[in-house]
Amino acid sequence: MELLKRNVLDKISVENIKLELMRTAFGRQSTLLGKLDPRILIIWYSVFAVLPWFIHNEAVLAGLLIPMIVFTFFSKVSPLVLLIMAIGLLSEVTYIFLASFLFGGSLEGVWALLVLTLKILIISLASIAVFSSMDPEKLSDAMLSLGMPSQFSFGVSYGYRMLPILIEEYQNLIHSYRLRGKAPERKGILRLRSLLYMIKLSMIAFYPLILNTAKRIRTTVEALEVRGFTYSLVSKDAKRLKLAYLRVTWRDLLFLVLSLLYAVSLFWAGSYIHF
Amino acid sequence: MIEELRHNMAKPSHAAPILELRQVGFRYPGAEADSLRGISLTVEPGEFVAIAGTNGSGKSTLCKCLNGLIPHYYVGDLTGHIEIAGLTAANESVSTLSRKVAYVFQDFENQLVRPTVYDEAIFAPLNFGYEDYKSRGERALAMLGLQHLRDRWIWQLSGGQKHLTALAGVLSLDPDILIIDEPVAQLDPHHARLIYDKLKVLNEQYGKTIIVIEHHTEFIAEYCSKVVLMDQGTIRWTKPVKEALSSVQELAELNILPPQVTMSAYLLDPNKRDYPVTLEEAEAYFRQFPLRPEALQDAAAAQLKKDNAGAVQTLADFRQVSYGYRTVTRTIHPVIQNAELQLREDDRVALVGNNGAGKSTLLKLISGLIKPLSGMLTVCGMDTRQASPEKLADYVAYIHQNPEEMFIEDTVRKDIEYFLKSRKLLHDPSFIDDIVDRLHLQEVQHRDGRLLSGGQQRRATLAIALAMRPAVILLDEPTASLDAASRRELSGMLIELRDRVKLTVIATHDMQLVAEWANRVIVLHDGEIVMDTDPLSLFSQPGLLRMTGLVAPQATTLSHQLGIRPPAMSAAQVAAAFNCSGEREEGIVQWNS
Repeated sequence: MELLKRNVLDKISVENIKLELMRTAFGRQSTLLGKLDPRILIIWYSVFAVLPWFIHNEAVLAGLLIPMIVFTFFSKVSPLVLLIMAIGLLSEVTYIFLASFLFGGSLEGVWALLVLTLKILIISLASIAVFSSMDPEKLSDAMLSLGMPSQFSFGVSYGYRMLPILIEEYQNLIHSYRLRGKAPERKGILRLRSLLYMIKLSMIAFYPLILNTAKRIRTTVEALEVRGFTYSLVSKDAKRLKLAYLRVTWRDLLFLVLSLLYAVSLFWAGSYIHF
Repeated sequence: MIEELRHNMAKPSHAAPILELRQVGFRYPGAEADSLRGISLTVEPGEFVAIAGTNGSGKSTLCKCLNGLIPHYYVGDLTGHIEIAGLTAANESVSTLSRKVAYVFQDFENQLVRPTVYDEAIFAPLNFGYEDYKSRGERALAMLGLQHLRDRWIWQLSGGQKHLTALAGVLSLDPDILIIDEPVAQLDPHHARLIYDKLKVLNEQYGKTIIVIEHHTEFIAEYCSKVVLMDQGTIRWTKPVKEALSSVQELAELNILPPQVTMSAYLLDPNKRDYPVTLEEAEAYFRQFPLRPEALQDAAAAQLKKDNAGAVQTLADFRQVSYGYRTVTRTIHPVIQNAELQLREDDRVALVGNNGAGKSTLLKLISGLIKPLSGMLTVCGMDTRQASPEKLADYVAYIHQNPEEMFIEDTVRKDIEYFLKSRKLLHDPSFIDDIVDRLHLQEVQHRDGRLLSGGQQRRATLAIALAMRPAVILLDEPTASLDAASRRELSGMLIELRDRVKLTVIATHDMQLVAEWANRVIVLHDGEIVMDTDPLSLFSQPGLLRMTGLVAPQATTLSHQLGIRPPAMSAAQVAAAFNCSGEREEGIVQWNS
């Protein structure tokens, strides 16, 4: 039992969360969706992430869920992300049941709320599949190409570059708190006290992190200035050169056409089936 | 714009100086005094210039005038005339000037803004809209021999590789002038040398004019052609390297340490005009004097006797300890392998070895932040696998390599109090007052630690550790990025620690610190302890030093070349090994040791 507890606690250590995040962000695996043009993917995503809100037919929703599961599977999503989503979903379903039984609601109310959960699930899976298979660099270029301001798209890719450094520093700051702080003497039932202590640390460690980051940004801003970033904001050449590699191919078009065909056939089938 | 650029490039540049400043002065907006006063400086194409001076003497401000950040980005009062590669700085924008003058910051890591090495190299030419931005990036990487790192993520690189990447990032604009702000400060000696070797190639093969801000005189002696000495916003003088570094007294006044060999020669005879500044020169120079070896043997014997006194308590006991971390590809990367080590009371341990040898990991294992994967580690009687870092903190204090990661409160004093407060043991504020006084932090105790100077930050972190009243104190690279004055101050404080702390362990690249302070040296190489000895024996083995990538103090290397046995550990000892004819200045001896 003690071994098991330690095992579970080890798994959720900062170190492991860091590794999972890094794998998600820097895995560089080639996936089904990753091969597509990022602009096509963004357009596809913005349709399929909004569509479920306007559908009230459960059969169509269920039909939409299937490709999302397939894409998520092929996107080799990190187990951590899936775990977090599963916890979220489970707690939501539990809360729906509890709420409807405690307040004397009928099963119909539960059904309606479950449909809502289904919609959320479709959208979350679509987001996970798209964003974990798209290199943030490509995402940022796609946004630039679709007319977002350069500052914004640079921000995305800069965040991508800074992420590992921030995580590393965050971890070191937590170490600093631990090396001078005092952990609760008794661990409490189910280690609740220890858990609370760690949660508290993981929150307050953000303050020094923000201050340290603010300090180092000064150099970054100067460096951006001398390396022509401000210049690129006004010159058209930089944008043109940067985006020259983006090309829509037959593969992208095929993907769009197949998605459309699938959606149309779902609606057609959905008009015959009703739960 | 482009036309104008071509026109300027076409001008013959060999005749005119590439850089000319006449009576330049600058004051930051809102500042009470000028940061630069009456600066006149001429640099010819192809020169390798060092700008030396203490912190706050205006070195960085001067460099920011050269790439246009002053006055276009920092708007202040700029007077005088600046001409760069034929352009009058006042009439040009930052982006025009930065294509002529490249700047690598002291905290170069914050200069890197792209995820991979290649992206970083093409960033600037892409921004400026050069059609050939790809080949420019590739060329810059090739010039620095970085092609093999092309597709690496920035976070995967070592410190030295990051510095070279930052250099490649500015080199891709093909500038005429390169300015490097304190390249050695953040790097270990091995990588520092690597950077300088690359700069030398850029200077000699590609004809770049190079300006370094530097106070490590041993590098200046070996690589530079000219020294500009700055003091309080003015240029004190500009001299050729040999003449500059021979001005021992004057450098000493400004807290700049001349090379150890120069110091030795000065101590032997303080009345000369010219001293040797490199090892080769020193070897030839000292051969003129007769050797007097008995002086050193006495000192060595005395040291041995002193250190062999009494058997004592073991405070950290490594039994077959191994450690490795998990990588992104889900494999375990071994860092420490089967370490067998006992650290005892009164040990002053220096952990040495090149980057990645496992020094920091060993310290973190003792602190309990990380646990051995196999084997057994007992610290102050506790198995670290059972004890939390909080529990071990009652006995062990760990000082981060980066001081900023130790400031978790908004004032230095609160940081010092944190440990005692969290344990509800802070009954007596005079205890904290005492520590604040002792580390000379009275002035800054109510300020945020992040805003202090490098030397003050180190003192503050030492104060934090002392307030924990530890038995064991662990320091990771305490002398990194300190100037000579702060470094000396720190050595003094480490010596003062002796009566408060039972065991001190320092991971360091600073071989002078090892020679002056440690009584035990542990050499790590690829995660294994290859030697456990005292400084004198370590420096007596040049072969081992080479293998582990360590750079011995010049005094020791010189001793080997001259056949002084046992080798001298300081400049004063080298001088003592020879019959001196001149008067010895006691003050200087004190200052150096």
